[in-house]
Amino acid sequence: MTDDVKVADKTDSLTDLKETDEDLRLPSVVEPAHFPVETIDTEARHQTPAVGQRATRPDGRLHGLGQTKYIDDITFPNMLFAKMKRAGISSALIKSIDTSEAEAMPGVAAVLTGREIPVNSYGPSYQDQPVLADERVFHAGDPVAAVAAVTEQIAEEACERIKVEYEPLEPVYDPVEAMKDEIRVHPPHSNIYATKRIKKGDLEKGFAEADHIFEGVYSTQMIEHVPLEPHASIAQWDPNGRVTLWSSLGRITLGRADIARTLDMPINKIRIVGTIVGGNFGGKNEITTEPALALLSRKTGRPVKMVYTREEEFIASTTRHPFIMEYKTGVTKDGMITARKVRLVLDGGAYCSWSETTLGKACILSAGPYNIENLLAEAYCMYTNKTMAGAMRGFGAPQVCFAYESQMDEIAHKLGIDPLELRMKNAFHEGSASPTGQVLQSVVVKDSLEKAAERFGWKEDGQ
Amino acid sequence: MTDVTLTINGEERSASVPPETSLLRLLRDEFYLTGSKLGCDVGDCGACTVIVDGLPVNACLMLAGQVDGRDVVTIEGLATLEDLHPIQKAFEEFASLQCGFCGPGVIIAAKGLLDRNPDPTKEEIKDALSGNLCRCTGYTKMIEAVQDAARILRGEKEAA
Ligand code: FES
Ligand code: FES
Repeated sequence: MTDDVKVADKTDSLTDLKETDEDLRLPSVVEPAHFPVETIDTEARHQTPAVGQRATRPDGRLHGLGQTKYIDDITFPNMLFAKMKRAGISSALIKSIDTSEAEAMPGVAAVLTGREIPVNSYGPSYQDQPVLADERVFHAGDPVAAVAAVTEQIAEEACERIKVEYEPLEPVYDPVEAMKDEIRVHPPHSNIYATKRIKKGDLEKGFAEADHIFEGVYSTQMIEHVPLEPHASIAQWDPNGRVTLWSSLGRITLGRADIARTLDMPINKIRIVGTIVGGNFGGKNEITTEPALALLSRKTGRPVKMVYTREEEFIASTTRHPFIMEYKTGVTKDGMITARKVRLVLDGGAYCSWSETTLGKACILSAGPYNIENLLAEAYCMYTNKTMAGAMRGFGAPQVCFAYESQMDEIAHKLGIDPLELRMKNAFHEGSASPTGQVLQSVVVKDSLEKAAERFGWKEDGQ
Repeated sequence: MTDVTLTINGEERSASVPPETSLLRLLRDEFYLTGSKLGCDVGDCGACTVIVDGLPVNACLMLAGQVDGRDVVTIEGLATLEDLHPIQKAFEEFASLQCGFCGPGVIIAAKGLLDRNPDPTKEEIKDALSGNLCRCTGYTKMIEAVQDAARILRGEKEAA
């Protein structure tokens, strides 16, 4: 894959950008003013007066009036509409792309392919995702060309007339299968693109101390964020060579750097206007169509808008990682956990996106909020030829919670201990150390569990 | 091209649009009434809900040509310059919306209900909103707001 080169490019251009920045600095800078800094040492669990107060959202009125302007509610004179042609094949080499028929259609203003993009790769941690696939397709939702036309319908029809010749390749969909590296999603790279390992205490000793060993495999499915507002952006390249993007992007600063990189231009020529977002949930934390729209606007001299269809939300935006989680836990006969071994396999789909962050957080939290002296947690993130997984509320925390709490229930059932009691016995308390050695403060797990049990009548339920 | 003349929020409007144009596109693209949102374009989410001849409908599923001569109320038709509609007021007060994208559709669906049934039960409210998806809120506060607005509209409670 040519991506290596591009990654190297990035380092160069970022340094360049920093140097340009340096040139603009003043030779000397006034002493910054020093304010007395008071350290606020709030008591643990101290509530601010805001808790319990009734508050209204400052933007609530406009929402209710239908006056909030989301991207699709913004229009510019002469604006064009873009659509992307999706590969529809999950792994293939692109032999040729013929856009001539689309270009000849009345109403079509411009067609763009991956080869026209200065640095055709992006991503918040690894730059492994093409803006428009040029040499190879990594999953079926990959865009292979973009069209700007006077109406959405014409743009869509033009996409249908673009002819792409593929040489199909063997895909790999199962993350465990992908670990064998027999089929590589991004050759020559391994499918295992990120790993994490946390070790604490002596695992063997821990298991030896146990009266019972519990083993289980748990898995969760891929989940789409389904924000009510689909991803949307408008790009306007002005005659001065600057581009303005109105985007539903949640992280505009990060996006700006990524766009500058793909367009290979100084960051100060890129302006992003972040508007009110109609639901993000982690799915709008990276750029998607923005560089392509910018280039279409450059080609046409007109503003270009693109809004994902609901279908594109599912096939071409990020999702929540499916996890395969193996848990082995040693417990004494009275329910104290002595050791736990965890192995997580994350299905990252075709690109990294926010996988690294998800992997780290999932691994750290994988043992659960329990005092476990002897622990080994290993996590692997895998490429597969599927829609990429990225950030979604909790970055992997809900998946591991499903696994360790499922196992806690199994342990309680087998040992005939009340499930609540089992948790109370093992749960973190003030000053417990997390798997990575962090000493925890303001720990209210036990109080919360007790309160919750009391509120919904856990005991009366006959549990 | 299809010629349509219809009443929108009490005003007669006309347009000439391609025959495949949906009512939603007609409202948004021809009349710049962007309060009705496009969330799915296939009748699943309810973000496009408007009232046609007194009944809430998904504007994405209706053709512009079908509303010729009919009466349409959109979210823009609820408030006056002086005052919000009681449902809008209640939604604001109860903080019933977060990102807000589903809001116009939900409020219109609620209005469609209260116009026909001024004293709905909680179940009836849930039923009336069942065609409106919201990914942010969990619906609880919307239901509370609709109950509150109903009380105000029935004159049992002073508007705040
Ligand atoms: S846009 Fe009409 S129901 Fe979703
Ligand atoms: S408030 Fe965001 S979808 Fe309802």
